[in-house]
Amino acid sequence: MSSPHQKPTGFLIGFSVILVVLVLIPFFVDLFYMTFLTEVLVWVLFAVSFDLIFGYTGLLSFGQALFFGIGAYSMAIPISKLGIGPIPSFFLAILVPMAFAGFVGYFSVRLSGIHFVIITLIFALIGSTLGETWTSLTGGADGLTIPFTPLSVGPLTIDLTNINTNYYLVLIVVTVCYLLLRRLVHSPLGKVFIAIRENEDRARLIGYNVKRYKLLAFVIAGALSGVAGGLYGITLKYASANFLHWGVSGHAVVYTIVGGMGTLLGPVIGTGIIMILEHYLVNFLQGTDLVIGIVLVFMVLVAPKGLVGLLKRNSG
Amino acid sequence: MEPILTLNNVSKFFGGLLAVRGANLTVQPGELRALIGPNGAGKTTLLNLITGIYPVSGGQIFFKNQEISNLSPNVISHKGIARTMQITSLFSGLTVYENIWVTVQSRKKFFNPFMKAASLKDVEEKTERFLELTGLKDKGQLIASELSYGDQRLLEIGVALSTEPELLLLDEPTAGLSTHESMSLVKKMRTMLTGQTIVLVEHDMNVVMELADKISVLHYGEVLAEGNPEEIRKNEEVKKVYLGH
Repeated sequence: MSSPHQKPTGFLIGFSVILVVLVLIPFFVDLFYMTFLTEVLVWVLFAVSFDLIFGYTGLLSFGQALFFGIGAYSMAIPISKLGIGPIPSFFLAILVPMAFAGFVGYFSVRLSGIHFVIITLIFALIGSTLGETWTSLTGGADGLTIPFTPLSVGPLTIDLTNINTNYYLVLIVVTVCYLLLRRLVHSPLGKVFIAIRENEDRARLIGYNVKRYKLLAFVIAGALSGVAGGLYGITLKYASANFLHWGVSGHAVVYTIVGGMGTLLGPVIGTGIIMILEHYLVNFLQGTDLVIGIVLVFMVLVAPKGLVGLLKRNSG
Repeated sequence: MEPILTLNNVSKFFGGLLAVRGANLTVQPGELRALIGPNGAGKTTLLNLITGIYPVSGGQIFFKNQEISNLSPNVISHKGIARTMQITSLFSGLTVYENIWVTVQSRKKFFNPFMKAASLKDVEEKTERFLELTGLKDKGQLIASELSYGDQRLLEIGVALSTEPELLLLDEPTAGLSTHESMSLVKKMRTMLTGQTIVLVEHDMNVVMELADKISVLHYGEVLAEGNPEEIRKNEEVKKVYLGH
């Protein structure tokens, strides 16, 4: 597709600057903030994976928490219960949520609009109920702790209990996933997703197998949500049934809408800003949800295309 | 010559309502066939049956001697049938260029997730060609929803043409246009659609008489009469049920 509005060099410069800052940050800030920043990066990945399904393919899924939670448990259960190492477990955190997304997607993508929202929400509710009640497997709301022992990879020893090591691992995975997603949305396949978002019926009439590509988008987004969940498990060193709660999906929705859906950059900015707001406001106001709610209402009314849309509009 | 489209006793029920009653229709390659008939005559329903939007309740539809009844719309598109809708159906948030581009791309079998869409030079070239054909090249970077209504109708025909169909179905292309706009669109259609096999559903008799080679008159989903514009104009039965003279 013609790309007069894309400025690849602008992206390259911006991306490189941010990456250098993120690589150097551990040398300047204390460990408390490093944990916080690691969590922000995890949620960034969760939000951009949601943007693929919502912002690019037009499917408002409230089921992403299911794949996020399953991703976390795909790290926690093999490591804590089966004695499987963190590396194979990490691959499970991609593959298991992907398989579940295939299952949920198979039933969901034949629906559109509000029906799709509801069926994904129902799957998520089933998942979180199972997670809360099947305590022998999941540990319920208390969760499962994930014991990490230092890993030897060739000459390197990776100790995930080290906060900075954890941070760099998350940074690498999130960066790779972000770049892959960015490539995807500008690829021939990405254009198919966008066509479906714009007009499902028209996309079908010009020959796209809409159900197949909706399912594909759902599975890719589910796998990436799973990766985010896996990284969250690594960062917090535990997984709990709370990760499966549909409110977790709500976070992605809010971050994406505030930042600007269908932009990838929007959810990154949205996640950063809202998490920082939440972090500081918790000291001033007990109910940060109130503030987030006000921000969300304000954004929807004033800038329905999010912060990125607002910036684009102002820059002409 | 072998017909390109054959409807063999096709019927469609919506619950207990009979929308199309045993329609028989044969369209030859290169022909511009108009379907006319009063509101509720089943014209749009017929197009929906041909393009697989609705399953047929009875009868068969053949495209180039191959049965296509009840195939899904995307499969039928790849067989070589394209259509426009009565209510404009575009990728309204995308640019004119992107509307055509993504349609041209639909002819490919594989959509690589790892390459840049902009590097598909063949798609780009064809897009340029179809933009030129529709006369919307200057408006290529406009968002489809920002086009005038007439241009949106034109773009939709351009989109349908970009699938390089052997048969094009047009559902009231001039609906909602003023007489002036409508005549200007008809003029553009004449040059754009030269040599194209077309089934046209249209209310505006001026447009029909101007464009059609042959007209089929539908009445309660049945083909009441068939002939060239002159024959239809003179047909007593048609006058009675439709032309109102």
